[in-house]
Amino acid sequence: MGILLDENTAAIVQGMTGRIGSIQAKWMLEYGTNIVAGVTPGKGGEEVHGLPVYDDVYKAVEEKGANASVIFVPAAFIREAVLEAIDAGLKLVVAVTEHVPVHDVLKMKTAAEQKGTWLLGPNTPGVITPGVGKLGIMPGNMFTKGRIGIISRSGTLSYEVAGLLNEIGLGQSTLAGVGGDPVVGTRMINLLKEFEADPGTDAVIIVGEIGGSSEEEAAGFIKTMNKPVVAYIAGRTAPSGRRMGHAGAIISKDGQVGTVQSKEEALKEAGALLAEKPADVPGLIKKHL
Amino acid sequence: MKLLEYQGKKLFEENGIPVPGGRVISGTDEALEAASSVGTEVALKVQVPVGGRGKAGGIKLAAADKVMEEAEKLLAMEIKGFSVDKLLIEEKIEAEQELYLGVVVDTDSGNVILLFSPTGGVDIEQVAAESPDQVFRLTVDPFAIPPRYRLRYLIRQGGFQGKILEKLTGIAENLLQLAFKRDLLIAEINPLMILADGRVLAGDAKVEVDDNALFRQQFEGKFWEEQDELEKEAREIGVTYVKLDGNIGVIASGAGLAMTTMDLLEEAGYRPANFLETGGGITEDLLYHSFKLVCKNKGVHSVIINLYGGVNPIEKGAKGVVRAMGEMTDPPVVVAKALGNKQEECWEVFKSGGVAVVTEVGTEAAVKELLDLLDKK
Repeated sequence: MGILLDENTAAIVQGMTGRIGSIQAKWMLEYGTNIVAGVTPGKGGEEVHGLPVYDDVYKAVEEKGANASVIFVPAAFIREAVLEAIDAGLKLVVAVTEHVPVHDVLKMKTAAEQKGTWLLGPNTPGVITPGVGKLGIMPGNMFTKGRIGIISRSGTLSYEVAGLLNEIGLGQSTLAGVGGDPVVGTRMINLLKEFEADPGTDAVIIVGEIGGSSEEEAAGFIKTMNKPVVAYIAGRTAPSGRRMGHAGAIISKDGQVGTVQSKEEALKEAGALLAEKPADVPGLIKKHL
Repeated sequence: MKLLEYQGKKLFEENGIPVPGGRVISGTDEALEAASSVGTEVALKVQVPVGGRGKAGGIKLAAADKVMEEAEKLLAMEIKGFSVDKLLIEEKIEAEQELYLGVVVDTDSGNVILLFSPTGGVDIEQVAAESPDQVFRLTVDPFAIPPRYRLRYLIRQGGFQGKILEKLTGIAENLLQLAFKRDLLIAEINPLMILADGRVLAGDAKVEVDDNALFRQQFEGKFWEEQDELEKEAREIGVTYVKLDGNIGVIASGAGLAMTTMDLLEEAGYRPANFLETGGGITEDLLYHSFKLVCKNKGVHSVIINLYGGVNPIEKGAKGVVRAMGEMTDPPVVVAKALGNKQEECWEVFKSGGVAVVTEVGTEAAVKELLDLLDKK
């Protein structure tokens, strides 16, 4: 089981003919992901890793029944690639690309909402359902199959959390990275709803960070959940008013919203379990399973 | 990227938003000629990328033939840490009414918002807090600028009618189009001034461009940049760096991981010297330059490196660090935690250069190792 990415996923790689797209496609295939084709306008008819390359997403849907996409195209082309994938009716679109103009993200997000498409990113490590497949750049060997769901705004930090879970024998149902940009395609709260409904998930971890209000918004749903939620928020020592790498990681200058404190208060009130550091996460999960 | 007022006003003018007549100068010797070409009474305004310059004494009125003295004083000023390189000399405007008009990307809701208030010339946040009924908002569909009648309807609620309402509506439409066309995160006119003769002029321009859109947006002239030399250098290297006030350097492949490392250091009673995030494409040169950069910050006595390898084999990064350390007469204490593609080779490279390697998963282990080493020193 798991969410977003499961046995029924048939994925394409948009930008598979590029250097990064090609390497990442190889690693996703080696992990066992059901990749059915690549799409690059102007490269239709070519083959990469024995898979056909089409000029457009529609053809991949017609020929291969594609229903998901992971996209590795430069920031200048990501808007068109994502909008095409949404328009072609894919259910899941993963936009790995960093440094995407925010006006483009607003269009991508709006289109995804209108069509009911899951859009992860931009600037996301992607999604992995261990043992089933991965659409994204996370190293597959850092995850194990299991029943803990992870929602993350930060790629490498979520690898660390998964690694700590592995050490005490707790595998993961799905890791979904929402992306580190100030505007992203999917709200944490919607992923929580999926995990709550997923019979393959027993508990959920939120790996959050300063900035925005998605953790605060998620707290509203946590109140109603039956499964335990553990949250770790990075950035308690970050200075206010400065962007900390992720364009989304910034505490507003007045210090009222987006701080670790405001997020932790909201989450705690909703009944989530707070980890002060990543190393506390596995213990908290184990105690409340 | 923030534009200075005169740069923002140039954009406004090019896009059908009227601004006062003005000239930009960078030296006192240009002041007299510029002022007399603008009018008999002028305003001199320092060009700095921060608000509140009026209160700080950065705006002066003068007769055109008496501008030299004021210009000299203003050009010698420093406002909130920014030296004054340029002055905007404008015709003196007497407004009958000051309004607010702004287009902002509201990242929290993920929308573009048009904001209008008949109360301008003051901080809009303050107006919104004190008299929320005086701030009118319109959420804008990212695929289409709202039709003119929707804009007219919004502005009419501020108590305007007839000719002036049409002028304001046109300006709102032009500002929205400008924000979309030029990838602006913020385009604010505060105040938007209504003059006795019926003219409407943008009294100020607060414009911020999305850095991520600079591949498709060109702006003339030199723009304000980060003042900190190390932060500027980081941008050239291709990493994100924020200078802090401690003495333990931090290098991490990921913003969340870097912040966690900082948080754990602070919890142990130590202060990070910086935030540095490498991004995913770790190469030998990237880590070489990153390490050198981190050590340039005064007082750095140790460095903690926290990496996950992605596309590129991670041992290349280790080579960069060791190369940088080899060039230093007194290299700092370095602890590295690095996992991913070719991690064992990476650990060997680190060890060969005298770096303490932590092979555990958790960042805490690396912090602990570093603190142990510092204790022994």
